Amino acid sequence: MKIIKTLALGLTVAAATQMTHAADSGFDLKTVDPEADRMALQKYYKDRFPKAEISDYVNGIYAVDAASREQWVELEEFPPYEFDVEKGEELFNTPFANGKGYADCFENGGIGIRQNYPYWSKEEGTVKTLEQEINECREKNGEKKLRWGKGEIAQVSAYMAWTSRDKVFDIKVPEGDKDAMAAYLEGKKFFYTKRGQLNLSCANCHLQGSNVFIRADLPSPMLGHVTHFPVFRSKWGELGTLHRRYSGCHKDSRSKPLKPQHETFRNLEYFQTYMSNGLVVNGPGARK
Amino acid sequence: MKKTLLIAALACAPTFAAAESFQEAFEMNRAMYGPDHVFTWNGNQYHTNHEEEMEARVKATKANAEDLLAKAMAKNKEVGELGFEWKLTKDILKDAQAAIDAGEYQKALDLAAQAKYHARIGIQQYHYAEKNWHLAVPQ
Amino acid sequence: MRKLTTALCSAGLIAMFSAAPAVADNHADQIAMGKAVYMGKSRGNCISCHAIDDPDANLAGNQGPPTIAMKQRFPDKRKLRAQIWDASQNNPLTIMPPLGKHWILSEEEIDAVVEYIYQF
Repeated sequence: MKIIKTLALGLTVAAATQMTHAADSGFDLKTVDPEADRMALQKYYKDRFPKAEISDYVNGIYAVDAASREQWVELEEFPPYEFDVEKGEELFNTPFANGKGYADCFENGGIGIRQNYPYWSKEEGTVKTLEQEINECREKNGEKKLRWGKGEIAQVSAYMAWTSRDKVFDIKVPEGDKDAMAAYLEGKKFFYTKRGQLNLSCANCHLQGSNVFIRADLPSPMLGHVTHFPVFRSKWGELGTLHRRYSGCHKDSRSKPLKPQHETFRNLEYFQTYMSNGLVVNGPGARK
Repeated sequence: MKKTLLIAALACAPTFAAAESFQEAFEMNRAMYGPDHVFTWNGNQYHTNHEEEMEARVKATKANAEDLLAKAMAKNKEVGELGFEWKLTKDILKDAQAAIDAGEYQKALDLAAQAKYHARIGIQQYHYAEKNWHLAVPQ
Repeated sequence: MRKLTTALCSAGLIAMFSAAPAVADNHADQIAMGKAVYMGKSRGNCISCHAIDDPDANLAGNQGPPTIAMKQRFPDKRKLRAQIWDASQNNPLTIMPPLGKHWILSEEEIDAVVEYIYQF
């Protein structure tokens, strides 16, 4: 009997703790609060790495690990993405067969607008990414779509990021727009959900596991994750898009990975970029 | 011998009290002892083998192998629709089909069992996540 | 009679001695398998998170605690087996994959890795 009582008490306490926990921040459409999430994430990193400035998280792992920062600063002296930015500029300024160009598809002629992506499109009822609109621009003008992961799309995206350097991300989840909020929530849920045969969430490596060695690798902190994309990754030996990295990470959990620009990945980008609001665009970047 | 069993039972008692469900008791025993172990739960005896492992313990015939492979493929479709398909399952299913083609029916049965198990646990993983994903969010 | 006893004894002793290396061989094989699982990237890859005092271990990660004092930490070897089989049972948020529950390793490989790390 005593055991049962103790057990019952234990269960009640456990249930109560869980309830207060759940009430703290939004895990459903009624309570979801992107700004509270962003503040909680910043607090998490402040507590975890008190010496690192929040603004420095655009530099990824190099914000929190002095040893790898040294190597990276050296690498950045001759940025490996330099060629891609030049190539991207050339592609950006080369007219399509119909005489129009990328500049005709974007606000401000496509210059200095990286920080506005991704955004919620009320008309289309979905999250729009920069790469998506690059391809839409091509199709609208009778050109073939580019492949999502690397090559020309990454180069055009890199040039557009380059022209936006130091602009501040200010992603909006329109208040009262249930569908936008649902997209944000799905991205958030994806980030924290364990999946795949290895039972790993994004958070396993990039929140709790950030700056802790997996073999010789230090997983980057999730704060500032998206600011430097597209990225020249030494492991790839070339430039690649954010969604190429998403697919790779997803696969690393031993899940059947989603394809770049899948709605779920766009929602993930929406959530992650909102988390980096207040940080600056510093893409393209160089990473190990 | 009886005494040892009693002691073992007593030693396990607190854990059992907390691990009430059959699934928890099953997993704890499988985790500690591996397959083909017998344990008692709620007064009855059970073994620690996965249902899929039992499904593979049939006569190694083409028909049986094909039957289990079809079940495994259906399960994997189910987990795929939830967005929780595992990376290697598709190849295991392919290997099972190749084993059938090569006339290696026991091998095919074992591979199909593994694939079906992966799919079933993937579905379980989905339902667990639906209830618990929020626990990982910093407050 | 005495002769017989002696004979039986020596037979028994011979049997014991000859049996001993056989057991040791089996165990040595099992430990070798456990070590391969521990170090192998597509197998256990335990080394990616757990440092171990084995001369063949290099570039170990530190996501998890080092593999030391296993006998003291897990006086019951079966509890250690259970931890490897499904670490999320004790900590649902753990980064450690459920190597048994998700059938990442075979049950034989899990037994082998238990034997290997129990030496440290």
